[in-house]
Amino acid sequence: MAAVSVRDIRLDLFRGLALWFIFLDHIPTNIVSWLTVRNYGFSDATEIFVFISGYTAVIAYGRMLNQEGWPRTAARIYRRVWQLYVAHILLFVAFTAQIAWVSIARDAPALIEEMELLGLGQNPYRAILEAALLKFRPVNLDVLPLYIVLLAVFPWVLPVLVRWPWAVIAVSVALYAATCQYNWNLPAYPDEKVWYFNPMAWQVVFHVGAACAVFGPGLSRLDRYRTPLTVLAVAFVLFAALIALSWHYNPLERLIPVWVSRVIYPIDKTNIDILRFLHFLAIAWLVRVAVPIDASALKWPIWRPLRRCGEASLLIFCIGTFLALSGQVIVGYYEDSIVSQIVVSMLGIAIMCVAAYIAAWFKGGGTRTPKRLPAAAAETAR
Amino acid sequence: MNRTCALFAAALALLVAPVAISSAWAQSMTLCRAKPAMLDLGTTLPISRKAIAEKKLLRIIALGSSTTAGYGVSNPAFAYPTQLRIGLEKALPGIEIEVINRGIGGQDVEEMAARMRAEMEGNPASLVIWQTGTNAAIRQMPLDKFEKTLRAGLKLGTSLGADFVLMNLQYVPAVVAAPDKEAYEKIMAGAAREYSAGLFRRYDIMRGWYDDGMPYAQFVQLDGLHLNDFGQKCIGKLLTRSILGALTGP
Repeated sequence: MAAVSVRDIRLDLFRGLALWFIFLDHIPTNIVSWLTVRNYGFSDATEIFVFISGYTAVIAYGRMLNQEGWPRTAARIYRRVWQLYVAHILLFVAFTAQIAWVSIARDAPALIEEMELLGLGQNPYRAILEAALLKFRPVNLDVLPLYIVLLAVFPWVLPVLVRWPWAVIAVSVALYAATCQYNWNLPAYPDEKVWYFNPMAWQVVFHVGAACAVFGPGLSRLDRYRTPLTVLAVAFVLFAALIALSWHYNPLERLIPVWVSRVIYPIDKTNIDILRFLHFLAIAWLVRVAVPIDASALKWPIWRPLRRCGEASLLIFCIGTFLALSGQVIVGYYEDSIVSQIVVSMLGIAIMCVAAYIAAWFKGGGTRTPKRLPAAAAETAR
Repeated sequence: MNRTCALFAAALALLVAPVAISSAWAQSMTLCRAKPAMLDLGTTLPISRKAIAEKKLLRIIALGSSTTAGYGVSNPAFAYPTQLRIGLEKALPGIEIEVINRGIGGQDVEEMAARMRAEMEGNPASLVIWQTGTNAAIRQMPLDKFEKTLRAGLKLGTSLGADFVLMNLQYVPAVVAAPDKEAYEKIMAGAAREYSAGLFRRYDIMRGWYDDGMPYAQFVQLDGLHLNDFGQKCIGKLLTRSILGALTGP
């Protein structure tokens, strides 16, 4: 068997960053969300999270497929799917309970009405059934169901992927194109709704991420075109930043030629518009160029909280989603004051970090200073 | 370690400071507003008035596409139909207000006209807010077809015994970039006149925001098409004002 590869710290670090961004962006009025990627271009943290999830899925299960065969690997993946599902249902309960608690504690009937609009009040039994089927997802609970669907298909993709990654990319892109063309989506609840993150479109991010992991060091073949690719990526990121800036500044917006607007808008999120995907790929390329796998800056202690959060991604995602709702309530209580936004953001991130450290401590067997597990063991433990 | 932390904090402060300043400036840009003349629906809503006077009940159907459904808002209650209900309840105490949200993302006149009868017979209402035109303009539905379908829908709808208010296109980058968007607007205004329906001039109201210097980021989602929390709440508020004006006017 191949030597144990070096653990790519960048994956945990940027996944942690994406989780922080998702938390910050999910608080509707939040000045701190100015620090997140979505304000400077087309794509946002979702792309980072889904791409890295695809990438790490190959790292975690690719080797297992080689060593232990398909049945065990598939079983392992479905065990993970089950964990995700349980986490999602738990989050759903905690999330709705929080809304109920807030509306009772604050004696705010308007909030209870909002609850009804979440679909629970009119027909709670049906809503719970639909939630169990992943069809009913109150706001902000859309990411995990997407991940669940993508991972549930993964056992069937993985054996092909490790042999013919290009074939998987081709099929994946074709499915993405057909989905956009024919407006396919999965049904949701209430009946006329569809999935906010369309799995048949978003799978392209996951599978391209997974294919990149299969290519691994082979990606260095791209370095032949390093300069032109970098120039292209920089140009595209700058273009996206210009458009994003124009949303904030009307005189600049008026300078955008109509034909450009006609081509780019709308920049769909449900079916991940091609501009969003290209923007993400451009950023990913620039990160690859700027932050090589062995960059010493990656080991700086200030990044450790981010890495810890990225390592415990499922836990931190759930906590972040839950806390974003708390943050929304608290910021609303203080009438959107900027101080409350900053305090809530920092507190939320602090809580996420503490949870991540506790998770690492548990994983390390509960010893005081968690030793990094050998890469292979850590991955199977995930 | 300490130095890096300090550096990090300094960088954070540098990033946040100008944003904080500009956002203080932007507070003046966050007012929900419209010229009073813009809010005139051009109808007196006779059936709704009668229902309020006789049954103490006003049932409204919001028929539309993704804006009506509340796509992408951070809380479903922010979508304009719920805002309308909340606003009317406050303004008309003692009157039971019901707003039935029948927004389905991606649809336009064809699909909506086709389900018009089913929607109205399923929930007999005194007032139908028909939000339409945006998807037609973006997908460049032929103008004559748009007009024909819209009028057929209005004809059927009004014959089923409800007041109608047409809500026209939203002023957002995706629509502004579409050719002929004004032509769709005109067709809607003409059809409203012919069938004595009201017209809620969303396009002109929102254009007013933009021309006053309100940036798109204030009222549009990052996809350049859908109204965000502020846009939805503001449209809900202004629509409430329009309908109250029509109900209480001469």
